[in-house]
Amino acid sequence: MEVPQFSGIDVLSWIVFLPAIGTLAVLALPSSARRPMQWISIVATAIPFLLAAWVYFGPFEKGNGGMQMITEARWIPAFDIFYRVGIDGISLPLLLLNTLLFVVAVPASFTIEKGRKGYFALLLLLETGVSGVFVALDFFLFYVFWEVMLLPMYFLIGIWGGPRREYAAIKFFLYTLIGSVLMLVAMVALYLDADVDPAAPGLQHTFDLLQLQALAQAGQLNGQNLLGDGVLLGLAFQTWIFAFLFIGFAIKVPVFPFHTWLPDAHVEAPTPVSVILAGILLKLGGYGMLRINFPLAPDAFHDAANFLAILGVVNIVYGAFVAMAQKDFKKLVAYSSVSHMGYMLLGFAAMTEWSVNGATFQMFTHGISSAMLFLVVGVIYDRAHHRDIAKFGGISQRMPVYFGLSTLGMFTSLGLPGLAGFVSEAMTLVGSYEKYPVYVALSVIGIVITAAFFLWTIQRVFLGPLNEKYKELPEINGREVFSQAPLAVLCVVLGILPFLVLDWQGPAIENFLNLIGAKS
Amino acid sequence: MPEGSYGADLARLLPEVALALVSFVVLVADLIARGRDSRRIGWLTLAGLLVVAATLLREWGEPSTIVFGMVTVDAFAVFWKLFVTAALGAVVLFTIYARETPRHGAGEFYFVLLSAGLGAFFLVSTTNLLLLVLALELLGLSSYVLAGISKGDRRSAEAALKYVIFGAAATGVMLFGLSILYGLSGTLDLREMARVLAGAEADVGTGRAIDRFALAEPALAVGIVLSLVGFGYKISAVPFHWWTPDVYEGAPTAVSTFLAVASKGAAFGALLRFTGALFVGPVEGAGAAFAAKLSSLLALLAAVTMTYGNFAALRQRNLKRLLAYSSIAHAGYALMGVATLRPSGFEASIFYLAAYYFMNLGAFGAVIYFARTTGNEEIEGLRGLGWKTPLVSGCLVVFLISLTGIPPTVGFFGKWYLFVACWNEGLGWLTVVAAANSVISLFYYFRIAKALLLVPGEEAVFPHRRVPALAGVLGLLGAGTVWFGISVGGLQAACAKALTLF
Repeated sequence: MEVPQFSGIDVLSWIVFLPAIGTLAVLALPSSARRPMQWISIVATAIPFLLAAWVYFGPFEKGNGGMQMITEARWIPAFDIFYRVGIDGISLPLLLLNTLLFVVAVPASFTIEKGRKGYFALLLLLETGVSGVFVALDFFLFYVFWEVMLLPMYFLIGIWGGPRREYAAIKFFLYTLIGSVLMLVAMVALYLDADVDPAAPGLQHTFDLLQLQALAQAGQLNGQNLLGDGVLLGLAFQTWIFAFLFIGFAIKVPVFPFHTWLPDAHVEAPTPVSVILAGILLKLGGYGMLRINFPLAPDAFHDAANFLAILGVVNIVYGAFVAMAQKDFKKLVAYSSVSHMGYMLLGFAAMTEWSVNGATFQMFTHGISSAMLFLVVGVIYDRAHHRDIAKFGGISQRMPVYFGLSTLGMFTSLGLPGLAGFVSEAMTLVGSYEKYPVYVALSVIGIVITAAFFLWTIQRVFLGPLNEKYKELPEINGREVFSQAPLAVLCVVLGILPFLVLDWQGPAIENFLNLIGAKS
Repeated sequence: MPEGSYGADLARLLPEVALALVSFVVLVADLIARGRDSRRIGWLTLAGLLVVAATLLREWGEPSTIVFGMVTVDAFAVFWKLFVTAALGAVVLFTIYARETPRHGAGEFYFVLLSAGLGAFFLVSTTNLLLLVLALELLGLSSYVLAGISKGDRRSAEAALKYVIFGAAATGVMLFGLSILYGLSGTLDLREMARVLAGAEADVGTGRAIDRFALAEPALAVGIVLSLVGFGYKISAVPFHWWTPDVYEGAPTAVSTFLAVASKGAAFGALLRFTGALFVGPVEGAGAAFAAKLSSLLALLAAVTMTYGNFAALRQRNLKRLLAYSSIAHAGYALMGVATLRPSGFEASIFYLAAYYFMNLGAFGAVIYFARTTGNEEIEGLRGLGWKTPLVSGCLVVFLISLTGIPPTVGFFGKWYLFVACWNEGLGWLTVVAAANSVISLFYYFRIAKALLLVPGEEAVFPHRRVPALAGVLGLLGAGTVWFGISVGGLQAACAKALTLF
């Protein structure tokens, strides 16, 4: 297939690097140029979104489960490192979601007063990092993009965050860096172990993810070249690789017990950054597992699947119970994310067609619903300047539109039939049932608790007698509705027409299942 | 070597001759100006260094050994000489803009600085142990003077004294070790020594070839280890690092920069040549077993050095002390490549030091900038300053992420290079130790970033004038740090070309 190009550069590279160009443009402006800065940010996020949508509905062949639109260029020949990008049915929906969430996050950032220039520059840089991770087909390139996200995120939380921002920012940075460093060590080992030229053993290595996946599938990535017998300190090479990569990605997801950075980061982060963090950054962990962790260590994955499923159930149930206990609205949403990411892990671990499809779709639907909920929290926080659930009451009387949007977001999140969250959760649980009936039964506790705390939250914040303090609360404004509207539409549309994503990801997931040997 | 070609020899020594001439010109110019115009003397020095660099670029090519085998002019030597010259240039620039610039006696300062550079030049371009020691002493003695150049300052005097005493002890031990090596091999030339030790030459007395690695292993081990003390001292590897924090803190910051970058780089150059000549290459039998033991020792030294440096840096409040411990840690990283005792590892070390040039010079330069504009060298004193100086603090953040080893910066790629080399040569555990160390280093590097940017900048004030020229220099270094992190090819090719030892 011909790769669509504009001015000689392929469309995926445009999607990745347009925001970075926006960063440079914002930096070139004087600090006082508020309007131009906003316009540049809008344009630099809107064009990648439109391009991604065009690719989604246009040239992308959705029946094809393989990689499409591959572009490659030599980068560092001495280490066989290439600039290599491409897209398949797993990464394209997430890329689209990512570009959409940045379009949503930019207007939500217009209220930022302090150091506006730096803020928008970092936000746009962050988008380049995230988009890059989704399209990278070279492990080294993937790692570089993965790390490019760290610094903007650190400063976005650390400078524009709440009172405990310094602590939250460094905690986020440290957790993620520990994961990255483990990934780096595994990457070096995989690179040195991958022998692509049988004629000259130990000389020709590769970072090409597709090639690495093929080698792993053929059982040729077991450490024979690096260790001889493929055993290190009594454990198989693959087990080490799997563990290192898994911890790296699990921190990002976050999987219990690596989740403690998340509530801190969320509570301190400004609203748009929380939206990005919950909406897309958490999905990078799941995406990394699908693209790198599981296919590059398939045998170890099969051995660990049961353990991963248990971790998934712990995430679901523990996350839901902790969320229920929260007094802070934002922390509640943050812990509900921990719970929802558990479904994803459980679905991956079950390795059936339905469960993996559901888990992958769960990444998408949770991206929409959690982003929406963080926007909801942001709206009320901007007005009341606190997030204490118990101190609201009867808000629906003053803000009916806002009440409607909030309820829609929460219902999607708790998995009400007819809305997007239901489809993904149901698929995951049904798909996992044949493999792990007990775990699925336990997860139902999580569903019940999730429904309970969201309904209880609606009751405490929106219903009941109006709190006297909030008699003059202004209704949600046009800018805020603009941010939430696309997400609200998606919540409903994907609940009714889930094939708008499922048809795209299905063939790619079949491909993935073949790769890890879950299907014969 | 053909006899009677002194003219040709001298022509190949042109960079050294030029450097010596520049140092005299600077000294005399200062005498003529009666020490009143220290700034212009600085610019004169810089112009002289440009001339030296131009003569060096001519040499980048065919290798040769001149002056009765004492001096080797090869791409490796030229690379390090360019490294030292570039570092000297930056140090001169920093001196011009630093607050503690000597108002009087600038000529002497630059003269001694260039003499130290001359020592570094000879240090990296000799395989002769005699010249090696002389060069090390020239570099050392000049550095002692530089450390104590602020005459009225007690801390500077204390720093110089500590430096002298540690230096004398380390050099003494090293000389003892080298004398043992001389005794075992009967030669001062490293390449000759390698052949004799491996038993390639017939013994004069018996007429039989003797593998000295097999015959005299304990004596050889003592000789090698004691020689390494001298190098360890200069690169400030643990446990020969004790002087580093005190000297870096006490000496003028520009001098600390010189010690951390130029002096350390040249010492690494000499260490690579020393270990490369003796242990890398076609060593077999007992020699190979000896090299394997040495490799483990060096790897252990690297691991201890980086871990100690990073942990000690965690507690520092003074920026210069923090950078001192950080430079100890980075000596540990750079030692990783040496420890492999393989060409690929050496190449990685060379690249790492090239990366270190950009990021560490930059970090020191930023400290000078803030010291000059606020009169402060403590981390807490930086609070909120980032908002007032976006360019400088932005560059400092770039240097910090590069020092931590996060892409897309040259420091990340340097670490990557070392990791691959170590894994490939069976030092996988060292890779893991180094990776864990990067996480530790994040703590203290980002304490600086936190102080600069994470606190509101309303109360931050600049009592002194801004220095746009210095900010420009930092901008260039920052651009280099990012540029070589993305477009690595050129720098990597230069480092590969510089590896002409084997």
